Amino acid sequence: MKAARAHARFGERERFMLALILPAVLILISFQIIPILIGANASFRVYPLFHPTKTWVGLTNYIRILTDPLFYGTVLPNTFLFMTCSVTGGLVAGLSLAMMLNRPFRGARLVRTVILLPLMIAPVVAAIMITWMFNDQFGIVNVVWQALGFEPVVWFLYRWTSMAIVVLTDIWLWTPWFTIILLAGLQSIPIEPREAAMIDGAGPWLIFWKVTLPLLRPVLMVCIVIRSIDAFRVFDIVWVITKGEPFRSTEVFSIYAYKQAFIYLNFDQGSAAAIIGAIIIMIVGGVLYWGLSRLLEVSR
Amino acid sequence: MLKAGWKRAFFGLSLAAICLLIAFPILWILLTSLRPASEVFYVHRGTHFTLRNFLEVLAKPEIKRSFFNSGLIATLATILSLQVTITSGYMLSRFRGRMANTWFGLIYLFRAIPYIAWVLPLYVVEQSLGILDSYWGLLLPHMSVHICFFSWLMKGFFDGIDPDMEFAAQIDGCSRWGAFLKIALPQAVPGIAALAILTWLWTWNEFLFALILTGSRTPMLTVTMAQFVHELGIEWNLMSATAVMALAPAILVTLFAQEYVVKGLRV
Repeated sequence: MKAARAHARFGERERFMLALILPAVLILISFQIIPILIGANASFRVYPLFHPTKTWVGLTNYIRILTDPLFYGTVLPNTFLFMTCSVTGGLVAGLSLAMMLNRPFRGARLVRTVILLPLMIAPVVAAIMITWMFNDQFGIVNVVWQALGFEPVVWFLYRWTSMAIVVLTDIWLWTPWFTIILLAGLQSIPIEPREAAMIDGAGPWLIFWKVTLPLLRPVLMVCIVIRSIDAFRVFDIVWVITKGEPFRSTEVFSIYAYKQAFIYLNFDQGSAAAIIGAIIIMIVGGVLYWGLSRLLEVSR
Repeated sequence: MLKAGWKRAFFGLSLAAICLLIAFPILWILLTSLRPASEVFYVHRGTHFTLRNFLEVLAKPEIKRSFFNSGLIATLATILSLQVTITSGYMLSRFRGRMANTWFGLIYLFRAIPYIAWVLPLYVVEQSLGILDSYWGLLLPHMSVHICFFSWLMKGFFDGIDPDMEFAAQIDGCSRWGAFLKIALPQAVPGIAALAILTWLWTWNEFLFALILTGSRTPMLTVTMAQFVHELGIEWNLMSATAVMALAPAILVTLFAQEYVVKGLRV
């Protein structure tokens, strides 16, 4: 009897299910789960990249990272600033573009082609293009800047201009993604509520705030959560544009962890920083999801 | 009537301005790549254009190898990843229950974990396995990311296919594998094409894995370019030519396969 039930629970259907995912599960285990466990193990030990002694030291590495003024004073604020600005910027730009494109007009295909372009481009290449445009001596930005009557600026000499350029690059890269997804969202919401509001004499702004936006909230929520999680781990554009300079003032969390491990060769502290970051983004992602779904409930 | 005309003109003009703003960085790097070395610092002046930069870049063995490696890795990763993401997406789409839920949760969890948390230790793992700086050492981590990012996309494509045909085939004596391979898979071909394009570009564009897991034996394009910026950043004509060639696949896809890509961008 018992054997028969066990057989029913893991029958032919279950074997088929398992066979479908088995290769994926094995790859996931060996290339993500096991490395994370090894990293976690290393973060509790003395584990420089070369000739590790592997002595157990408990939470020492975590304490060292969390009490590093660079980490809590610069790296974390930078990461959150980058996340907030690039997600907000991309969302606003993407939503505006989606609203503009949500009607038939001549040349729509051409416009869509142009708007899609940044999405396909390697972030590294985008970063290279931006670095060249903002080159202090020969960049086109300074040429225009001087033509407007200003003194030329060494853009990458200051923390805030560097950060702003990195954020702008990210917005440029991700606006198309927001546009495409929000456009699909706009096209899938029913037209009747908007028509009803229009007949009742509501202006376009009122309709946008009170009718369109609430109907779009589920899509917006998914967009914001996914993009925030991705923006939190940004690496490539920051690495190419600023490398965390000037004076490590534009480092974000992934850069900090990378530098700890491969520039300063403290694999233990790098792992600890990476795990701290992973925990933070789990919490932030969870809170964002929870908060935004509450907002959704309230608005209903 | 007049007001509507003004409104349309305003709409058209602002859209044109936005498109120009979006396309400008690409146009600018393209223009830079066509300027001779002596005039690259004054791209906005002068009228000399040349294709020499491209030839000069392609004559550098390291860059040639980077292009080859990036193309090879992207192609192999696409072929290999498709197999595992298609099956895992099919399973997520067709089955409910504890196993499916656990797998779905796992994928979502690993979708959210920052790369750096597992690529850092992967360096040590691959070093001890002896596959650091090799094709396999880069392919397999790419596949594991593709699983997390594209399984649920593939699930979406299979969700759009009516499973009744598969049930009918099974009643007629077809096995589960038969129903999957002969009935569901052919119908999913457009979705698979979209996925293949996205996977290929994704791998071609990737930077962090290549930076950590490869070295001088298997140089990858993105890493070579990033080094180029910091070490040879003064030779902007060559830099731009390389960047333009790295951009080419992206532009080709946008021009000729955008329907597929848009289909693949659901959340």
